[in-house]
Parts: sequence; C-alpha cells; structure tokens
Amino acid sequence: MLDAAFLVRRQAPGLVLSGFCYAGGLAFGLAVSAALLVQAGVPADALVDEFLIATFLTSDGLAQTVTAALPLVLVGLASAVAMRVRFWNIGVEGQLWLGAVAATWLGIAGGGPDGLRLPSMLLLSAAMGAAWIAVPLVLKLRFGVSEVISTLLLGSVAFLLVQHLLFGAWRDPATGFPVTAAFAQAARFGALGWGQLHAGLYAVLVVAALVWFALEHTRIGFYADAVGLNARAARANGLPVTGTIVGLVLLSGALSGLAGMTIVAGTEHRLNQSVGSGYLFSAIVIAYLARARPLWVVVVAVMLGAVFTAGSVLKVFYGISEGMIVLVQGTVLISILMAQFFSTYSLSRPG
Amino acid sequence: MMRPAGAPGGREATSPGVPLALDLSGVGKSFDGRPALSDASFALAWGEVHAIVGENGAGKSTLMNVAAGVYAADEGVQTIDGEPISPRSPMEATAAGLGMVHQHFRLVDSFTVAENVLLSLGRRGAVRTVAQASAAIAAKAKEIGLPVDPARIVADLSTAERQRAEIVRVLLLGARILVLDEPTAVLTEEEAKALLSFVRRLAGQGHAVVLITHKFREVAGFCDRVTIMRHGRTVLAGAAVAELDEGEVARLMVGETLTTGGRPASTPGDVRLSVSDLTLSAGPHAQGLASIGFDLRAGEVLGIAGVGGNGQEELVSCLISLSRPQQGTMLLAGRDVSAASPRERRRAGLRVIPSDRFDSGLIREFAIAGNLALSTVSEGAFGGPLFLDRARMRKAAATAIDAFDIRGATPARQTGLLSGGNAQKVLLARELDTGMTVLVAHSPSRGLDMKATQFVRSAIRRAVEGGAACLLISEDLQEVLSLSHRVAVMNRGAIAGCRGIDEVTPEWIGALLAGHA
Amino acid sequence: MDFLVGWIAIVPSYATPLLLASLGLIVCERAGILNLGAEGLMAVGAMTGAIAVLSGADPWAALAAGAAAGIALAFLFGIATVVMRADHTLSGLAVVAVGLGLTGVIGRPYMQKTFPGIASFGEMFGIDRSSALGRIVAVQDPVTLAMPFLVVLLWWWLMRSGSGLRLRAVGENPAAADVAGIDVQVAQFGAVLVSGLLCGLAGAYLCVATSHVWVEGMIAARGWVAVALVIFARWNPARALAGAIVFGSADALVPRLQAIGADIPVYLAMMLPYLLTLLVLVASSMAGRASGEPSFLGRIYLRQDKH
Repeated sequence: MLDAAFLVRRQAPGLVLSGFCYAGGLAFGLAVSAALLVQAGVPADALVDEFLIATFLTSDGLAQTVTAALPLVLVGLASAVAMRVRFWNIGVEGQLWLGAVAATWLGIAGGGPDGLRLPSMLLLSAAMGAAWIAVPLVLKLRFGVSEVISTLLLGSVAFLLVQHLLFGAWRDPATGFPVTAAFAQAARFGALGWGQLHAGLYAVLVVAALVWFALEHTRIGFYADAVGLNARAARANGLPVTGTIVGLVLLSGALSGLAGMTIVAGTEHRLNQSVGSGYLFSAIVIAYLARARPLWVVVVAVMLGAVFTAGSVLKVFYGISEGMIVLVQGTVLISILMAQFFSTYSLSRPG
Repeated sequence: MMRPAGAPGGREATSPGVPLALDLSGVGKSFDGRPALSDASFALAWGEVHAIVGENGAGKSTLMNVAAGVYAADEGVQTIDGEPISPRSPMEATAAGLGMVHQHFRLVDSFTVAENVLLSLGRRGAVRTVAQASAAIAAKAKEIGLPVDPARIVADLSTAERQRAEIVRVLLLGARILVLDEPTAVLTEEEAKALLSFVRRLAGQGHAVVLITHKFREVAGFCDRVTIMRHGRTVLAGAAVAELDEGEVARLMVGETLTTGGRPASTPGDVRLSVSDLTLSAGPHAQGLASIGFDLRAGEVLGIAGVGGNGQEELVSCLISLSRPQQGTMLLAGRDVSAASPRERRRAGLRVIPSDRFDSGLIREFAIAGNLALSTVSEGAFGGPLFLDRARMRKAAATAIDAFDIRGATPARQTGLLSGGNAQKVLLARELDTGMTVLVAHSPSRGLDMKATQFVRSAIRRAVEGGAACLLISEDLQEVLSLSHRVAVMNRGAIAGCRGIDEVTPEWIGALLAGHA
Repeated sequence: MDFLVGWIAIVPSYATPLLLASLGLIVCERAGILNLGAEGLMAVGAMTGAIAVLSGADPWAALAAGAAAGIALAFLFGIATVVMRADHTLSGLAVVAVGLGLTGVIGRPYMQKTFPGIASFGEMFGIDRSSALGRIVAVQDPVTLAMPFLVVLLWWWLMRSGSGLRLRAVGENPAAADVAGIDVQVAQFGAVLVSGLLCGLAGAYLCVATSHVWVEGMIAARGWVAVALVIFARWNPARALAGAIVFGSADALVPRLQAIGADIPVYLAMMLPYLLTLLVLVASSMAGRASGEPSFLGRIYLRQDKH
C-alpha cells in the first residue's frame, strides 16, 4: 500500500496543476469510455463522426444537441445550487417526474385562457419540484436524515407514482398504451423551426441567467459558499444559515421540476415512462464537472447534450444500450475524482 | 547555532561507551515546501528526563514525530540505542524501543482500555485475548505504579486516566524511550505533579524520557537536561537544567524578549455584559455549564483562567448563541438578548475571537476579502439586498490589510494560506470594528509567535482603553494575569471564584484550578 | 391464513439480498469507508449471475461469478477511495453509475430470458407441502438457511475477534490504528472488497435464486434500501437481520397480493418499502447519539493531518 508517511497534503495546489489533473482525468475517462464503446462494437473511426461531427458540426445534429441540453442545463443547475450548500440532491429525477406530472395535468386537462397555459405549467411544475424536495429537506434539518438516501428513494417513489397514473387514470384511451394523451397546442412550446428545438430554449436561458446572476452577483452566492464551506462560522457571523439552505434546496427542486416541464411540453408533448430517465447521474456529473458554477453548468450541459445525441444514434445504428451514457458518466466522474489525488497530495521522498 | 559542550549533565550522567538512547542529527523536514525542521538535532541518554522546549511551531513535536516514525524525515540521521534506524511507521519505532504519547491520545474512544492494548499487541507475543491484555495491563500498572483500570471504556475516562492508559499501552509495546508531547497541558497542577514524579521514577528504572513542553517552568524541577528549539532548529542542545536560569531559557525560546505592555489603563464603567445563571447540560463530548454568572463593565478586562476542557468552549458557544443553554439570562448593554440569534447579538455590539479561528471565526477556503466581509455583507455593507459589490469588498479588504499590517495577504488570497498570526489579524480586523462594545476573546494568542502575540494583546488593550469590555478566556495564566482587571477561575463548567487582580495569589488560583474551593 | 403462509414463505428470499448487501456495507463502513455504491455492485452481480447461468454454468457457480463481479467493481471503488482518497459520496455514486451503465451495455442480449435457479429444499428433499410449515420450508434454499449463521459468524468476527477489533479501530480512529501497527489502507481495501463480494452475491441471488430472469434495472433501489438498512442496524449485523426481515416482508407483500388476485393499486403499494425506509431513517436518527456510526465514517485519513 501507498505508504502514508510519504503522502503530504498540498497547501495550495496551483491553478495549472489542478487544471492539468482535471483535464487529465477527463481525458482518461473519455479514453476509457471510447475503448468501452469500441469493445461494444462501435468502429473506432465512427466515434469522431458520432461524437463530434454529428453533434456539433451538422445543423441537424447541433439542433438535437441543444434540444437535449435544455433539460440538462436545468438539472445541472439544480444539482449545482444544492451542492453549493453541501446538500446532495440525488433525487433530481424524482423532482423532475413531479414537475412533468404537474405540467401534464395542466397540459391534458385544459381549461383557462390559452395564453396562460404555459406560464401556469411552468409555475406549477416548479412548485411541485420544490414540494418534492421539501420532504428530504425537512427530514434532514429536523431529524438529521441523510439526504443522499431520502432524495434518491423519493425518486423511486415518484416514478411509481407516474406508473400508477400511466397505467391508471391517465392511460391513453385511444391506444391503451401507458402514455397520456397528447397535449393541446397551447400546452406545447412552439417549434423554432430548427430541428426539434422549441421555445423552451428561452425559458431555460432566462432561468439560467437568473441563477447565474443570483449566485455570482448577489448576496445569495456569498451566503451559499459561506454556509457550504463552514456553516458554523457562517452562523456565528450572523448569516441566515437555515434560510440559505432552505432557499437554495427548494430552488434546486424547482429547477428539476422545470426540467420535467420542458421535456413534456417541449419535445414529448405527453407523459410517458421514459421522459425522466437518465437525468440522475447527468445532474451530478454536470454539477461536479462545472464545479457548481452556473456558467460552466451550461457549457458542460451542452457537452453532455452531445453525448445524449450520439447515444441515441449509436442505439439505432449499433444497438448500443442507453446504459452507455450512464457508463460514460460514471467513468468520467470516477476518473476525475481519482485524478484529483495528484493535485491534492504530493509524494515526499525521504532523502 | 550555539551548542554548549556536549558533556551530558544531569543526575545520571552517561558513561562513555554507553550508546545514547536516541540520537538525531541534521534532521530536515518540510511539508509541501514549508520547512518545519532544518538541521535539528537531539541527543538523549538512558536514565534521564530530557525536556524539549520551544514556542508553538518551533518544531518540537515535528522532530519527535520524525523520531517516532509518524513523519518521514527529508534528511538526517537517527539512532536508537546506537543502532541506525529510519522508522517508516510508529510501529517500527516502538519495536526499536521508542514510544510516543501524543497530545491527542491514540486511543479508540469506544473501546475499553484492554481492547486498545489488544489492538497494538494482538498479533504478536502472548497477548491474544482481552483477558490476557487486562492481565498484562494490571501487571504493568503495578510494576510502574500507575493506576489503570483495563475494563473501562476510554470515552468514560478523565483526561489524566486516558493519559495513564496511553503510557501503559506504549510501555507494554516495549518502549524504553518514552516521548510525552505536552503532557501537562491538559492536566491540573496536582495531576501534572503526579505524572512528573512518575516520569522521574521511570527514568530511575533506566528508561529515557522526553518531555515536550512550552512551559519550561512547570517541568524544570523534574528534568535533567533541556534542549531548546526555535524555528525548526536546535538552539541549545542538552544543557544541564541546573546551569540554566529561566530568563536565559525564555530568551533562547523566543529569540527576543517579550515586553509586557501591562493591563489596559482604563477604569471600569457601566455594565456592558451581564450573564446570570447560565446552565447547559453536558453532552457526550461537551462539558456542561453550571449556573455561570458575571458582570462585565466597559473599559474592563475580566480574565477567566482554567485548564482547557472545563467548559470554556461551551461558554463561548452560549455567549455567541451557537448553543442554547437550558436556562440563564444574558444582557447586552442592559438589553435582554437571552433568546437572540448570533446576528442580533452581533448587532448589539458583541464580537468574538474563538479559540480555533477556523472553526467558528474564519472560513479557511474563503478569500481574505470574503472573511473580512463575512459579518457585514448581511448588514448591507456591500450593496443592497440584491447586489453584492465585490469590487467594494476587495477595496475594503485592501484597507484592512494595510491597517492591520497583515503580511502575505491580498484581498483575493485564500485565508487558509496565511500564517497563524496573520490569519488572527484578519479576524481582529473584522471583529475590532467601530460597532464593537463587548469582546469575547478565547485564547487569542494560542499558537502564535511572540510578535503576533504582542500584536493581539495590544490590540485588545487599545480596544478596552477605547471603552470596550473584554472577556478574556485563556489557559495561559500569564496572559490572564497580565491583561485582566479581575480574574475568575473556571473548573468543571462552573466559575469557582472571582477576585480583583490585586487580591489574586498563585495559591488561590492553584486551589481553584485543582477544584478545592 | 393461506395468504399469511404464502407471504411468510417468500419473505426470506426477499430479505436475503437486502441482508447480504447490508452485511457487506457494515463491514465496509466499520472500516470507515462510506459505501453508497451498493446499487451498482448489486447490479453487476445480478447481471453476471444471469450471464453465467445462461451460458450454461451451474447456478451455484453463477452466484460465485456474481460475487466476483461485485469484487471487481469494488476494486475500482477501493482504488478511488482508499488509495486515491477521493470523496466517498461521489465515488460511491460513480460506482453506481458505472455498475448500472455496464449492465445496460453488456447485459442487453441476456434480457428477459428465464432460466432455472438454485434448487429449493422442496426440490432437493421432496418436502411434504401439505402443512403450513412444510410449505414454508419447501421454498427455502441453502442460501436463506445460511443467513442466520452468516449473521452470527460476522457478528462474532466483528465484535469478538482480534481482526474484527482491528477493523473497527480503523473506522473509529485510524490514527490510533496506525500507531498500533495496523495498515489502515490494507484494512480498508479489504473491507471494500468484502462489501463488493457480499453485494455482488446479493445481486446474483436476487437474479438467480429469486426472479430467475434478468432485466435491466431489476435492483430497483434495493441497494439504497440496504444503505439505509445499515443505519437502521446501527452497523450491527444482528440488527441488520431484523431489519432485512422487516424490509423483505414489505418487499414481498406486493407480489403476494398480486398472486392472490387482490385488487390493489399495485404501484402505490410498491412504494411501501421506500416509504418504510424513510420512516425507519427518521426513527433511527431520533435514537440520537447511540447510533453506532463509526466515528471516522466517510472521512479521509492522512497521517500528517491532526485528527
């Protein structure tokens, strides 16, 4: 084993070293992922095609990448704002499901003026997402229950709720499939005429800009960092510790709920059993890779959108399971985690 | 570097030809480029008690950690009983005969003493069961005359009992060289005397003992020789205690003499802080508080002396409202703030220097500007509720850095990278602002070098002369006595007594510290 | 009555995977390594077990293969947390992702294919199923029977043996263990591998012995329930047995109700184990300090740091 006596914690790993380790970890993770894909039957020369050219350099591909990135930006922000106050939101999928359910309820039930339909769907889905995360939040603050487990389990509960609805009251009467009826036009984001891209883009951009502004240019980000890094010192210095945690965690749930809404109102136009899958690890990976900074979240989300796009292509042409995306995420995550070892510690050699 | 004639002094001088118990020379060690030891040396003879003295951060513990295999030295030579060795682990050092009792005892709290001993002995020799370990402990305890109960759980033991358990454990492992790191710091005077007499006996039986301390006075009577360290170097190697005077030791330790500025020249005015019947129930790792009460006046320093762990942390925690006492009232300038939040108490003029500045004072990872603004951002000092003017924050930080002469600081630099003294200045710069009326200072100069200590003390003095009230809680009796107008003694969560500085005698303090009120 | 007997009869097969996984996690966390990767470890165990059986291996060999797969993935986790000292929470999540992803990519051709599992006592000894006892015993298998013994063995090892003492010392106070000559990293790595073995076995048992078919996502958060079970069990194998029976009962309720044709909202009923888990976590945390949590759980030990 690595001898503990020779391992020394670095006082201040420089930007260059940290960046180098980060990039090295990322490159290593991607290389391993590529090797796994080749092993799974994708020709090596097709990788560049599928992951670079067909995702960014063709018009259709770029449109699909950006479309896929929209909910990813939201769940990435959701994970990031919670991470800033050291709250592990592993239940992004659950809040997303609830948001999708809320949006679907308004989307298929109709009623009210058409012009208010989308705004009310936005608000209600955000509210439901926030409500769903309020449970683990209360359990943590009041009883000290680990939010890692509670948020995750509530994700499973949310999915069962969706199945309950899809196999029951909301089952499509026309086909009998476990999907809801299609939304009315007023409950859909309008198409922008470029691939599948829809008006949800504007909503996501506005939300991302607001979150960025709140975290970088108002007290909220300052409070969040203080609370996340040293809650005791924050409290002793008169900062609203509980308020900051509650606010940002509820925001996290709301953002996830919104993500659910953009999926059902933007691309699917109905609720089905797969709208919410694949976002759990995406959210964590985006927030972690972006170091929980909003601008970087957007960048990483677009990158991951490309992986999603490539994933759906690989599925069709090479029969690669969607599990591939999760595998890539896991590989890159653990690879970067391990690479940090080299910037956190130095080995001192006895003379 | 001065090195007096190598002849070992002391009561049991070694005869030529007999190898030294421990010999370290030319030892260098740095942590991530920051040197902790450079060309340090130390020579220990069998049968002696040898003190290593120096200020905090002088490298005493680091040097002994190297000898004990906790750290690997970057350079240098080590022999134990004449045999060259460079231990790569504590176990290797112990196997060679050197055992160290650390300040934080290496005992598993949830285990019994016997289980802890079994942990170390379990894979070699005859001791393989808890019963055998208990028997071995009992035998060893009897042999060396230290009472230790093997069946008790460590978490239930007092500090002195844990220390004894740790000593017995180390000796059972075969250590004939015993290194004790600041052993008296956590003991009452009586306990310390008992320990030091034991150490003397042990040396009489042929062991060699190293006492690491920064309070030479307290151990002088029990040691044969002394080695003094400063800034990671040995500045005096193995001088006989009998040939040294205290002033000389102090001068060598600090490299310059400390000018004590005396207590603040101010007369106590109105009551600024009034605490009565403050009671907190004890937790698993926390001392309770028993009906603590005192009044603190403007222009006054009330010093609270006491051995650490007698409720000082808990008292501070209650005063700044991080802990909620079960009962008690607290008035700040006549206003009842018993139920007030930390923020409200801050607004009422309360400021704090906590004993561990990175626990509840500063955020290690924050930029210096962020820490300086930590308590004022929420008061709107850097823009209204919406904006945070980071440029203004940095500007204010630059001003504070100049005003407090914070070395090595820029507003954007991470606070954790500053030296202890400069990080403390960041804290002072924030806490000693114009709104401050009551200052709670807990061990404000702990771990600081002489210059920084002077800076901190004169800052407190100026603040009090300017009309502030200061509650000075410190384990450093000298600090309490030199700054306070009144002195109280804390013992087991209660204030054991309180007197004006003129009536304070060493006997009175000693009796209260030991718990004989 | 009939319903009750049928329910009791299948509880052990539902409790066994939860118990195996939580025992593995207990060993791991007693050494101070917070292991959130159970879901991923169980997933690779289940898939490997299925592949082994479908490739013609003996079901017992399939269980062993599942355990080996768990060990392999735990090896990665050990490298990350023990050797590279990465954050335990994130590493655990990464292991879940890798495990779930791998099963999705590799296991696709083996989906939805049923296969024979390990023989039950009924099939081995031709136990008469006319009595209630007979019905219950007949559906048990050697693995479920072994569980109580495994629990006792593991409890004895952890709480009474010298090596168990050393393992616990590492999780409570690695600095003390280090001084006592215990190689902290070796002990932790070993504990991580044990958790991989038991979690892999748990997944393989679930697949090979209980469901006789592999589908993607079949672990269905049971790994997370096991993580919670460890907290409920206060890191004590004996309490884990009790907890596993409670959770196994909840888990087994829905299929039982379906089997007798009861008209219940199935998906709502399936929430029961998860909600029960949350409830139990609240109750456990209200127990307060006597939680038994290893003092150094989830923290990084470095000799140079002051602990």
